[in-house]
Amino acid sequence: MSIHIRCKSCGFSFRIDARFAGRRGQCPLPECRHEFQIPARNRKEPVLTGGGDDRRRPSEIAAETSRRTAEPVSRNRAVVLPVAESGLPKRLYVAASALFGGLILLIIAAVFLPERATEADAAEPPQTANVEKPQSQQAAVYQKTIRPFLKKYCYECHGPKEETEGVAFHKYDDLPSVLASRTVWEKTLRQIEVAAMPPDDHDAQPTAAERKQVVAWLDKALFDIDCELVDDPGRVTIRRLNRTEYNNTIRDLVGVDFEPAKDFPSDDVGYGFDNIGDVLSLPTLLMEKYLDAAEQIAAAAIVEDIGAKNAQRFVGRKLDRGRWPLGRDGFVGLNSSGEVSTKVEFLLDGEYLLRAEAKADQAGGELAKMRFALDGKPVKVFEIKGHRKPDVYEFRLQVVKGNHKFAAAFTNDYYNPKAKNPRERDRNLSIRFLEVQGPLNVTPDDLPATHRRIVIRRPERDKSVRDCSIDIFRKFATRAFRRPVTADELARLADLVEAAVERGDTFEQGVQIGMQAVLVSPHFLFRIENDDRPHDPTARHNLGDYELATRLSYFLWSSMPDDELFALADKGKLHQSDVLLAQVQRMLKDSRSQAALVQNFGRQWLNLRNLADIKPDMARFPTFSEELRADMLTETDRFFAEIIREDRSMSDFLDAKYTFVNERLATHYGIDGVKGNEFRRVSLEGTPRAGVLTQASILMLTSDPTKTKPVLRGKWILENILGTPPPEPPANVPPLEETAKANPDASLREQMALHRSNPTCASCHVTMDAIGFGFENFDAIGRWRDKDGKHSIDPAGKLPGGETFKSPAELIEILGKRDRQFARCVAEKLLTYAIGRGLEYYDKCAVDKIVSNAARNDYRFSSFVVEIVNSRPFLMRRGDQGENE
Amino acid sequence: MTVSTQLRRRTFLKGVGASMALPMLECMRPALTLRTAAAAETTTAAPVRMAFVFFPNGAIMPNWKPEGAGADYTLSHTLEPLKDFRGDFNVITGLAQDNGRAKGDGPGDHARCASTYLTGAHPVKTSGANIKVGISVDQMAAAEIGKQTRLPSLELGVDRGRNAGNCDSGYSCAYSSNVSWKTATTPMAKEINPRLAFERLFGVNQQDEKKRKRRELYRKSILDLVRADAQQLKNRLGATDRQKIDEYFTSVREIEQRIARSAAKRHEVPEFDIPEGMPRDQTEHIRLMYDLMVLAFQTDTTRVSTFMLANAGANRSYSMVGVKDGWHSLSHHRNDEKKMADITKIDRFLVEQFAYFLGKLKAIKEGEGTLLDNCMLMYGSGLSDANRHNHHDLPILLAGKGGGTIQTGRHIKIDTETPLNNLFLSMLDRVGAKVDSIGDSKGRLDALDG
Repeated sequence: MSIHIRCKSCGFSFRIDARFAGRRGQCPLPECRHEFQIPARNRKEPVLTGGGDDRRRPSEIAAETSRRTAEPVSRNRAVVLPVAESGLPKRLYVAASALFGGLILLIIAAVFLPERATEADAAEPPQTANVEKPQSQQAAVYQKTIRPFLKKYCYECHGPKEETEGVAFHKYDDLPSVLASRTVWEKTLRQIEVAAMPPDDHDAQPTAAERKQVVAWLDKALFDIDCELVDDPGRVTIRRLNRTEYNNTIRDLVGVDFEPAKDFPSDDVGYGFDNIGDVLSLPTLLMEKYLDAAEQIAAAAIVEDIGAKNAQRFVGRKLDRGRWPLGRDGFVGLNSSGEVSTKVEFLLDGEYLLRAEAKADQAGGELAKMRFALDGKPVKVFEIKGHRKPDVYEFRLQVVKGNHKFAAAFTNDYYNPKAKNPRERDRNLSIRFLEVQGPLNVTPDDLPATHRRIVIRRPERDKSVRDCSIDIFRKFATRAFRRPVTADELARLADLVEAAVERGDTFEQGVQIGMQAVLVSPHFLFRIENDDRPHDPTARHNLGDYELATRLSYFLWSSMPDDELFALADKGKLHQSDVLLAQVQRMLKDSRSQAALVQNFGRQWLNLRNLADIKPDMARFPTFSEELRADMLTETDRFFAEIIREDRSMSDFLDAKYTFVNERLATHYGIDGVKGNEFRRVSLEGTPRAGVLTQASILMLTSDPTKTKPVLRGKWILENILGTPPPEPPANVPPLEETAKANPDASLREQMALHRSNPTCASCHVTMDAIGFGFENFDAIGRWRDKDGKHSIDPAGKLPGGETFKSPAELIEILGKRDRQFARCVAEKLLTYAIGRGLEYYDKCAVDKIVSNAARNDYRFSSFVVEIVNSRPFLMRRGDQGENE
Repeated sequence: MTVSTQLRRRTFLKGVGASMALPMLECMRPALTLRTAAAAETTTAAPVRMAFVFFPNGAIMPNWKPEGAGADYTLSHTLEPLKDFRGDFNVITGLAQDNGRAKGDGPGDHARCASTYLTGAHPVKTSGANIKVGISVDQMAAAEIGKQTRLPSLELGVDRGRNAGNCDSGYSCAYSSNVSWKTATTPMAKEINPRLAFERLFGVNQQDEKKRKRRELYRKSILDLVRADAQQLKNRLGATDRQKIDEYFTSVREIEQRIARSAAKRHEVPEFDIPEGMPRDQTEHIRLMYDLMVLAFQTDTTRVSTFMLANAGANRSYSMVGVKDGWHSLSHHRNDEKKMADITKIDRFLVEQFAYFLGKLKAIKEGEGTLLDNCMLMYGSGLSDANRHNHHDLPILLAGKGGGTIQTGRHIKIDTETPLNNLFLSMLDRVGAKVDSIGDSKGRLDALDG
């Protein structure tokens, strides 16, 4: 029995016999000798480590995500899959073997100190003792090794003589000054590591060993952090509602559901998601669209003149026009007898105005005629006046409430190709829109729900326009701004309504104007969180209850808080941990969370929003169709939705033996016995498929129009499943044409093998290719195949860890054991999505906790969500040091 | 080396400073009166318009570059569709956009190709936080001459921005899907729907003047109100959040100015058929967008425009010319003849569409000449050979005579590594938006004068 210990000071890992538990010890490395208390044996978890299960290089999490260091930096990571279930951090393991291999056995008998008095321990708890030591150790190396390196290789341009790009290394006297300028040093790390600096033409060039030493030191100093000490919750830049959030918020706020953001410019993506505060910008084009949308929303929600209800107009594609062509001018051309129609919901019994805009090509002895019919029953015939002159024709009619078919028909076609005057040859009718207005003359109680919900008062003898406006907007603007509206804001909105009424508009029109102002206000468009000291990065504080409600609802629903969340925020109770937990559970049960998380988180995490861009070559894949593409998406959506709804383990993504198919997709997969368009859950037992990796959506996404791209599949899995994106390829990949020319008959796999014979390429491709080729039995649209053209498929492969597989099923089994690594990937992506910013080095601690908690709960989906909501980055924020530290 | 980078940085900052000053001046006199607008119209005979068309993945350069130089050159295979307009444009070879290179930032040449194309600045490598590149040449022009027209500038495209995953090697998608940058941190989103672009140019309902006036009146009061909201808000936000609210201010102010200008004389909008939704056919889509640029220039609704034929690194196929593989995949052709032939087909197809654009402009009379004569239309890419991700020897055309200031009909061969930004300076001079430097510019491109 032995205890695994990782020294907090130098990071060295070693083991000590369990019988020494509870005593004091010293790190066996002569240059460290850090003192610590030997803990009791603690299940599988390594002890004294800062970050639980961290098997990755400390810089990785930050390197992928931190500002300016988005480019992965490591050469030795990602290409090697971590040893499954090893408690040792890979990097340390390698370092230890290389440097101290011979010492390992000796170390087991580490140097022990005599037991100290217990009060001494109490006075100086191990945590505190550990704080000073690593710093001093690191600081010593900085003075002894790092500064001479900088002086020799960097000072010429970045030193006392010159401060190129504003960087001058001589100014950093000690470790704290280095840590205070993290951005500069992160960039320095990257540049030294990839040998971009010092530049080639610099006289003195460091040796590989020198480089390695400096990189290792910087990596540790910057990223190997102690979670007991680092408690930065980070800061989220105010987030503009993205298109999805805007649509959903309008739906929940106003009750209209016509996707007003459909035509907004697309939201730019950062860190893989489109809800990142830093990336969401507000160009003028978008502001214009906000103004237009606000106008349309107000018009749709509120009946501006209670005497005449808003029109429902049906234009272009909204019309059922059968075979008749839709012209560029928006008119449907009826070239012989025929009709256009539409289904209309008549909300109430009452009188309605039926309208149509029409024009005619006149010919023959009479004018073109248009006949209105309701449910096939003719109600009115018009003569269309003028040649090609559009005009609106209308007719009043008593209608019983319910759905009716409203049609306008061309009834007197005329065609005489022999007529001398070309104008006299052909009579046609064209119709641009059908419209229904009404019911006319209704009482306020008959008004639509959206109207009644907002216009809760009307001015009467003892109620002024101003008082009513204030009542209306106290409710509406509070919900829209997601916090209580201020008296000042209310007064200005009321001014607006009053001004409109004075100008001669109706009260309702005035409310529409006020509503527009609310919907283009920065308080609505941005999710704003307040700081008492906005410019002080050390001012950390909990979010207010309204801000918390907003974070929760946009995380889980991509929409505004509902009444229950508002009520709890009103009472100031939401932040209480039991209340918060109950709310998360309630929200996850609400079907809105499945829809939002699947569509917005799932589809972006898995990159499936890009599936629409993949255009399989129809000549090669004649069974492909747009319907099939939609089915592929539905399968993955339903799969994820099931995991959320049933609160299943996220590891289902790796190896679940079930999925969702309809007949078309089942045929595609070669699964029998599924009939019809309805999706249903089916077992995958006995098939080569399992989990998300064999779903056609992912397989097609990682293919070209004509063929699979195994390297891309491998890369996709490393990035999105294992969370270890491979480093970017070197800027100019050595040309392959020689190999291709010399071996024109080689299969793709053989060509790639030749490619890997180049050591630069091999280091990364060895993993990517092995995984990618493991899925070669699935073609570019996700069908099973045994051959690729004339070449037999050989899916067998070997991973750098030594594991081998002979089939996709065996590869999936291997990947299935990587559940903890997968959980870490999920935690990082979901946290990024939840807080709307890229993760920083200090977020590693939060991620550690999320993963550990999820592991204890069998990786159930809810366990990720609960722990994210309880994390510092989610619950807290701080002031801003500004762009340049 | 050290000295030169330092100089570059300084000149860059100076350039930014110069153009940053423009919006500041603007806010001191926000309302442009009807009279000055009218005066501008009568005193200037015909304004010079400028447009920048972007295609993403470079070109097969041996098929692009013409043989010979000067007026006596032979059109290349790819440029052959332009033969009817030979006298109306110049082929310029040798230009480079140095800031598109890695400069220690590693891969991501596609993102840099688009973001550097018109800004001449080196983008900060980030997936999200601190997005920053530089003000683009079209926006420098718009800041100066944009106030003379209803829209300061028009940004068009065909593809939506990518909306999941990474766009290119750790660069935010903002860098890949925009070429026009209003400030170093705010990209100008592009309109991809022809109908919406049309409505943006000419309004939804031309006839109903009363409705339009009512809307403008209320919009002004609404904008007044929310500007006050934003002002209060800004005072209690941190520095990064303030940047976002500044974007809001800028947008609000621009719309206010536009409303103020809308009272000025409106040009008759020519008859124009336009589909309700997004065109299915890509050729039609591209041509419609060109049509809209023609309309916008013809009616003097704007004088500055950009058009992205696809986003950086786009991987769409071009089945209308028989190319089934994705463009980006093809572009790493490793000298495979079939792939290079396919890319050449795409290159030529896009040049054909540009020829269509020139044809439309040339058919419109303006003053003594044609609308095309009063244009400067740059057509090109920020990459040359995409297989090697080269940022020099770029494929660049400049069509139009710039109001008679450019001698066209030539192949202008200049020293390699001449900054593309030199051309921008010369173009800005010609629209009356003089700037001292952009990016790494080293002076004007005097060769334009002939």
